[in-house]
Amino acid sequence: MLIELKNIVKNYVNGDVVTRVLRDVDLSVDEGEFVAIMGPSGSGKSTLMHTIGFLDRPTSGTYLFDGENTQSFTDDELARIRNKRIGFVFQSFNLLPRTSVLDNVMLPLLYSGDKSGYESRAKKALESVGLGERIHFMSNQISGGQKQRVAIARALVCDPKVIFADEPTGNLDSKSGATVMHILEELNKEGRTIILVTHDKQVALHANRIVTIRDGKIVEDRLVPNSERVHSKEIKEEEE
Amino acid sequence: MNNIYLKQAIRGIKSNPSRTLLTTLGIMIGIGTVILVLSAGEGFKSYINAQVEAFGSNSIIVETSVPASTKARQGGASDSGTANSSATNAVPITTLKIRDVEDMKNIPNVKNAYGASIGQQVVTYKGVSKTTFIFGASAARFDIDKGVIASGRGYDIGEDKSLAQVAVLGSRIATDLFGDSNPLGQLIRVGNYNFEVIGVYESKGSFGPMSEDDEVFIPITTLQKKIQGIDYLIYSVVELADNSKANATKLDIIDTLRRNHYITDPTRDDFKVNTQEESLSVFNTILQAITFLLIAIASISLIVGGVGVMNIMYVVVTERIGEIGLKKALGARGKDILYEFLIEAVLLTIIGGVIGIIGGSFLAFVVSKVAQGAGLAWKFIVPIWGVVLSVSVSMVIGIVFGVFPARNAARLDPIVALNRE
Repeated sequence: MLIELKNIVKNYVNGDVVTRVLRDVDLSVDEGEFVAIMGPSGSGKSTLMHTIGFLDRPTSGTYLFDGENTQSFTDDELARIRNKRIGFVFQSFNLLPRTSVLDNVMLPLLYSGDKSGYESRAKKALESVGLGERIHFMSNQISGGQKQRVAIARALVCDPKVIFADEPTGNLDSKSGATVMHILEELNKEGRTIILVTHDKQVALHANRIVTIRDGKIVEDRLVPNSERVHSKEIKEEEE
Repeated sequence: MNNIYLKQAIRGIKSNPSRTLLTTLGIMIGIGTVILVLSAGEGFKSYINAQVEAFGSNSIIVETSVPASTKARQGGASDSGTANSSATNAVPITTLKIRDVEDMKNIPNVKNAYGASIGQQVVTYKGVSKTTFIFGASAARFDIDKGVIASGRGYDIGEDKSLAQVAVLGSRIATDLFGDSNPLGQLIRVGNYNFEVIGVYESKGSFGPMSEDDEVFIPITTLQKKIQGIDYLIYSVVELADNSKANATKLDIIDTLRRNHYITDPTRDDFKVNTQEESLSVFNTILQAITFLLIAIASISLIVGGVGVMNIMYVVVTERIGEIGLKKALGARGKDILYEFLIEAVLLTIIGGVIGIIGGSFLAFVVSKVAQGAGLAWKFIVPIWGVVLSVSVSMVIGIVFGVFPARNAARLDPIVALNRE
């Protein structure tokens, strides 16, 4: 089992007010799965993703990642896991401004402690998302769909086991969104585990399993039958 | 360490160049002042060195001095009977004589020597009067002193011995009295005597109202016998063959003078002997004190500048919270973020420091040009150690004032930082 959550609780304390965001969540994800976490806003789905992605520590509960109990991990060890074994794709792309596409993709490598091969690995990642030609563009000179593909290349560059995508199509038009979903499907086919957070049913149906969360509790966890699954095709965008 | 820290720091600085410049203003002013002070200090030193060397390089200066034992006794009411009891600082010491100068010439390693006295007199030529210093010196002064006679000649030993009424003028007094006309061969009146002008010095240049350019130089014997009615000297300049033996020669001079003045108790020495190094050390001590004071003032500006950098770094950290969160999500450790911001702060202060070094050097250059314009032997020197010091100080300020904002950034929770975007 790649990811195993047991009785995960997350509370936010603000003064005297305690907000219980996750209440006793149990969730297991196997390697190679494509899981969509669904739920209305405020349901705790983002918090769940952040917890699984080591961006946030649970208030209580056990989290086994690749068989290791992560509770005792230091911040630096968690940073190492985020760097090497996890890739993030965010709704708002989060590319560094005033920085080239190539440098953006290289960023995780620079924090990886690896000594060399930055550029060739970053180029390879960009080619795999179909942006091999745009590596020297500035991050603000490309379209939204391209930005998200750069972000995917950045998530891939350290060759992680899991990719977390938080509403990856939320800021995109349908064509660009389809391309992004197609890339995620391809990555899943290659064997990577994908955890997708969305409130959009159509997007969620790309996954082979949908976990629904409401008020901090998992209320439904089902496999998507092949007949229901949606597959996106890469849609070539017309050049600007 | 890979260069990502530097790269990210440069990117940060480039994001707002005008703010960068404003932020480092305090550092610029502080470092600029330090460089200006150090450079002007070196320039002043070069000027003082030139002044002291003007007495003759490799020289020892012998001055009359109130004995330490007398000074100690001053203010003690009832100590009449001894020869020095009535002496005060205002009463001149009258024991240094031409004979002492002649005896000093016989000391090994002494190449030449002259005695000198100074008096103030009214000097008149064709109704133009000036009150100025009359400088009496042995003819040997023309061999020792570095002053150049622009026209005419100096007096010789024969003229000195024979109480000749001849005078060499400083450049400014010559202009004051004679304007554009040629002073050579003309008679000027000094006190009650007419003196023939036989030479005019080149300008030596100096600050302020009094300088050798205003003085009238006459034979020492003439000054003593005809004008002042005395037989003693105020000081003597001894030229050495080998300056490296200056300290040994100084002891020989002291022995000779004590013997001549019948002094056995060193506290009763009525003279002071200073080698060139000792004369310079007085100036250097004063210079060091002034330099220290000005740098102390400049460091206030550096501290204010450092606080400015700290302030802006806090702002920068707040501005880039989202970016910090992203970097942490991508695997940056707290340490990585700390170094990025620390290096950015150090870069800021170094930029300020370098601009300050350039600005301060430029001002020091202007000062040296002004001083040279006034005829001073003032060199433009920017000490390398001052530049190295300035850059190091800039770096240290960057580290000291950058570390707290950088630590704030490093400690940010990745999710808190990401959510702020």
